[in-house]
Amino acid sequence: MIEYRQVTKVFGSGDTAVKAVDDLSFTIERGDFWSLMGPSGAGKSTVLHLIAGLTSPTSGAVLVEGRDVARMSGKEAAELRRRRVGYVLQAFNLLPFLTAEENVGMPLVLDGVPQREIDRRVPAALELVKMTHRAKHHPTTLSGGEQQRVAIARALVIDPAIVLADEPTGNLDRANGRAVMDLLVDLNERLSVTILLVTHDPVFAAMAKRVLHLVDGSLEQTTASDGDGDALTTSGRRR
Amino acid sequence: MRHSHGVHQAVLGVVSRNPEGIHGYAVRLQGERLLGHFWRLNFGEIYRILDRLAADGLIEQIAGGESVRKVYRITPRGQRSLDDYVLSPQTDAPRPLRQELAVKLLFASSEHLPELLRLVARQRDAYLQELHTLGAERRKMHRAPFDAFVTHLMIDGAELAARAEIAWLGEVATRLRERYGAGATGNATA
Repeated sequence: MIEYRQVTKVFGSGDTAVKAVDDLSFTIERGDFWSLMGPSGAGKSTVLHLIAGLTSPTSGAVLVEGRDVARMSGKEAAELRRRRVGYVLQAFNLLPFLTAEENVGMPLVLDGVPQREIDRRVPAALELVKMTHRAKHHPTTLSGGEQQRVAIARALVIDPAIVLADEPTGNLDRANGRAVMDLLVDLNERLSVTILLVTHDPVFAAMAKRVLHLVDGSLEQTTASDGDGDALTTSGRRR
Repeated sequence: MRHSHGVHQAVLGVVSRNPEGIHGYAVRLQGERLLGHFWRLNFGEIYRILDRLAADGLIEQIAGGESVRKVYRITPRGQRSLDDYVLSPQTDAPRPLRQELAVKLLFASSEHLPELLRLVARQRDAYLQELHTLGAERRKMHRAPFDAFVTHLMIDGAELAARAEIAWLGEVATRLRERYGAGATGNATA
């Protein structure tokens, strides 16, 4: 589903060059739910950016559904972002002059999806995040937790195979953060959406099926013990 | 609940909730319902505790009907004991934390940095596993058809404790890398 092959990403050059990702390899299978932890500057967000094709690797390859993201044509890359990958960020980035349902429908509008189809999919996405009752509200009248749920609905409306969530609970209090996490777990369990979550919060990270620790752009090596049943896999894998 | 001073009182409490009497098997079921993950008593332990409580006069056996099981109910003395316990101050002293890792850190040398980091990571992973279990437990309780108020509080507490440990272990790893890692100038003595 998502494969990193010896990926290195360097920002800058010469003395100021920073290796955000350093020879990183891993494979996330369809329906997996991984979380990525690590100190600030460890390269966590870059790992997500590379999957969404928002930046290209300096060397190595990132494959999504078997295709090398960096080698996609502009059209293919756009299609990947518009139809396959849902992105959820710490900042909700909702357009303030649009209602919740209009915000949720925006990716479909941009993708030229017929209005009839939009009218069918937006309520379904709002239903998934339990925000149907707030469909006509503007973001400023919603709480932080509600805004994030709308933002998640916007990510889900494209029916993505993959959800990339970068600190989605970062701006939320405990209860709302937990609600968002419950939602992600639910999406993974019920709809088999593949999820890669970046978080600082160990409680939320541990709700995933596997926790990876990134230190200076590479996976921390810990003793491997593959999870079974309810067990959480916390080992880094390096190939 | 294992190894806790509250175990006997927890069993006594469950018995007290059943004025018509309760047998050991039901004590376990009700305990698990009330405390979920935190109720870790097996049947053997429960029967031993029930015997003990009966010997102390805190509960008494009542004439069972057709059942061959022993059925217990709380005595007035048991009820007083339970009330005293519930309202008495906590006896838990702060636990001596992190001693084992401290000793290892003190006596390991700088060239053991990778092994030390692995030790720290392993301990952190154990806490992450604990958090994973607690998270699953919390979700289970959400679906439970009864009020799991206390269990939620217990989970909150266990989560906070695990978060603190993980934060500290992260700090330990960072500081170890700074001190002993490549390019570190720190001296190897602790």
